[in-house]
Amino acid sequence: MTPKNRLSAVLSMTAAAAVLLSACGAPAAPKPTAAPAATAAPAATEAPAATEAPKATEAPKATEAPAAGAAAKIEAPDCKYGGSMKSIEAVDATTVKFTLCSPDPAFPYKLAGDPFSILDSKDLETTGGDAVKISEAPNGTGAYKLKEWKRGESLTFEANADYYGEKAKTPTFVLRWSKEAAQRLLELQSGNTDGIANVGPEDFEKVEGDSALKLVEVPAANIMYIGFNNTVAPFDDPKVRQAFSYGINRERIVKDFYPRGSSVAGSFVPDSFAVGASPNVKWPTYDPEKAKALLKEAGKENLEVSISYRDVVRGYLPSPSTVAQEIQAQLKEIGVNVKIDVKESGAFLDSVTAGKEGFYMLGWGADYPDATNFLDYHFGPQNAQFGKPNDEIVALLKEAASTADVAKRQAAYDKVNQMLVDTVPMIPVAHGGSALAFKASAEGAHANPVSAVKFSLIKGEKDTLVYTQNAEPISLFPNDESDGETFNATAQIYDGLLAFKTGTGDVEPALAESYSANAELTEWTFKLRPGVKFHNGATFEADDVLATFGAMWDVKNPAHKGRTGNFEYWTAYFGTFLNAPAK
Amino acid sequence: MAESNNASSPSLPIAPIRPLVSSESPLRRTLRRLLHNRSAQVGMGMLAFLILIAFSASIIAPYDPIKRVPDVKRRSAPCVHVLGCDADKSQHLMGIDGNFRDLFSRVLYGSRLSLQIGLATVTAAVVIGTLLGAVAGYIGGWLDNLIMRIMDVFLAFPSLLLAIAIVTVLGQGLINTLLAVAIVSIPVYARVVRASVITVKDLDYISASYALGTPRARVLFTRILPNALTPLIVVATLGIAGAILEAAGLSFLGLGAEPPTPEWGLMLGEERNSVFNAPHLVFFPGIAIMVTVLAFNLLGDGLRDALDPRRKV
Repeated sequence: MTPKNRLSAVLSMTAAAAVLLSACGAPAAPKPTAAPAATAAPAATEAPAATEAPKATEAPKATEAPAAGAAAKIEAPDCKYGGSMKSIEAVDATTVKFTLCSPDPAFPYKLAGDPFSILDSKDLETTGGDAVKISEAPNGTGAYKLKEWKRGESLTFEANADYYGEKAKTPTFVLRWSKEAAQRLLELQSGNTDGIANVGPEDFEKVEGDSALKLVEVPAANIMYIGFNNTVAPFDDPKVRQAFSYGINRERIVKDFYPRGSSVAGSFVPDSFAVGASPNVKWPTYDPEKAKALLKEAGKENLEVSISYRDVVRGYLPSPSTVAQEIQAQLKEIGVNVKIDVKESGAFLDSVTAGKEGFYMLGWGADYPDATNFLDYHFGPQNAQFGKPNDEIVALLKEAASTADVAKRQAAYDKVNQMLVDTVPMIPVAHGGSALAFKASAEGAHANPVSAVKFSLIKGEKDTLVYTQNAEPISLFPNDESDGETFNATAQIYDGLLAFKTGTGDVEPALAESYSANAELTEWTFKLRPGVKFHNGATFEADDVLATFGAMWDVKNPAHKGRTGNFEYWTAYFGTFLNAPAK
Repeated sequence: MAESNNASSPSLPIAPIRPLVSSESPLRRTLRRLLHNRSAQVGMGMLAFLILIAFSASIIAPYDPIKRVPDVKRRSAPCVHVLGCDADKSQHLMGIDGNFRDLFSRVLYGSRLSLQIGLATVTAAVVIGTLLGAVAGYIGGWLDNLIMRIMDVFLAFPSLLLAIAIVTVLGQGLINTLLAVAIVSIPVYARVVRASVITVKDLDYISASYALGTPRARVLFTRILPNALTPLIVVATLGIAGAILEAAGLSFLGLGAEPPTPEWGLMLGEERNSVFNAPHLVFFPGIAIMVTVLAFNLLGDGLRDALDPRRKV
């Protein structure tokens, strides 16, 4: 701490009793949080449930004419506005073409996400894109349609008989919520619900010991790593970093401090991703003697270092302080004295981003299952958290990000992973696991790494399938939401152009039958599935895609309203909105 | 010379005045009262026990408090053979903590730290507080005003918050925690000492001392202070309890002792989320803090009664 910092620290401390009171209420950290956060305040106040909106299904629409109001092309004048989307064009009724400003091999993965579900253009027009109005009568193409939303209590869905894909296995689906993990488990054990979300890590054994229940592990799509900064002594010496990678027993950390379903990280990118993980590139196995020898070679015996972290529980790091103490104890064995430095979450992230932390624990949860979301963010040229970026890695990542061919991309990532092992900017420790639990009789019970559970594929004991999650969905308008509880409801009602294959991070067709890209990966053409009907009977066509994406992208679009108007996923994936007011 | 001769050796022998109450010295009387006081007895008993544990922790403790115990289950419940725990399992009186360490050994070693923290901080605070209070009360005037207004400012802060601020500036660590807690408790002692110095300094025997030509500093330290310390002893004993609690609080918040130090407050803080699935991990350190604080409080209460001049017996 510099004297200046000390002064400001005193001032802020004396002024802010809030530090104490809101110890855990730190403002949502900007980036390394587990992807769609699982906590959400029920938004019961937002929509008066009393007035039952006339259900669209009750009034079958007249003939569906191509929407006159919808433009056939939305286009940015140039690529300087700050976003990466150049244009979206309805080539004909069943073809949509996206043009990007820069190559993006992850584009299909982004579009397969739950926030990019397609709505009916008419609905967007009549509701003005208002999430509250849309939530009253959601109209999608999904396997379930909404029957009733009892605010504060439950959501009831009924099977969509006209669904184009595999029809729902259970006629009725009920989504409920309960905040406490112990309470949810109790409901499951008593048979009131068929499945529950987020089993508490300490309850894994209980569920497995019960023959009437089954544990469904969520494939991990995150990474916990121990980061180094190669500009902060003594970590500017690669030998020290290598010594640490020999001296830290990752297997023991994962075995002792992570719940079931977690795995020792083989690569920085989770293994479930199509590309990015390299099973053939091996991180050093635990070898304290070798670690000591390396430290001796570097002339850095009896090192004193401090490890920093934030005391925030995440899927990738379920018990930060015990893991820190374990690392402390392990490094003691190779003669390194570690001081433990717990920092406030926001201050810690800022400090890491600014490249001030030499040795720290942090993690990352996937936004979309593609290597670019992990590798490019961390090891790209703009990131200072590991100190000076490695030029060779930066070049390889750039090459991989502009290659469509999966094998070629993987080859580049293999080289990147090998270089990470050689230069040790960080030590990947774990892919943290979590789990859902279902009745043993629930056929087709599954969990998806980055998308909502498809309840239409699960067969309930009787005619009703009940699932209890953490919290009530905020709205039924997916495009302006970012929380997993909401997507568990909207993903049943709506479909996107693409979807994730059950239990994986692989993309499969949904409303689009097929897609193709040009060689530069800047033009993506989607062939839409013909004959798909919305729940209200309207036909799904290219103008619905344009209306949905237009509402998200274009500030001047009358339907650009949503719930908060932030459209977080859009800005995270594609940057600035079109026609965004100048700051 | 002649004057001083006259003053120090009166020509007429004066018969010693027989004490009206008893021939006991004040110290003896206090001790006797203290030993007969029930709460002081209990407090001293508990304290003796704690001190014994603190001194012999390295002998009693079955495990190293900061080393991992091999082949045990994380956060497993206490295993005591006489209470029916399997004989083939290793015995852990208070269970295993979240980092596979023997909680019993940690709690034992923790007593060392807590007693040290309590005694060290209060000693430091008492020394500084007494000096400030005595000077302020004795000299008075603008100096009194200056010192006591500064003390008032310190007292106006919630003490834990002030301690947090100090630790934030100085940086985390046990020594800094000690400093912070000591600084925070200085004003209390300064006030107590100043008040009794002011009472004592106008007494006749002090005037007599001046008349005898005793230097002012000497009067303060040898005539006034020894007679002004009685309330301080009580406040300081009770203050040890407060200091232990405050240091534990800072450690609980992660600002005091650094992991893996076996400090009770830190142990509580580390396992606060396990309160439902491994309650023993917060129960035992919590009990330890409570017992220690109670011991000092009981002793302080007893001391107050024993030193109270208005109480007979």
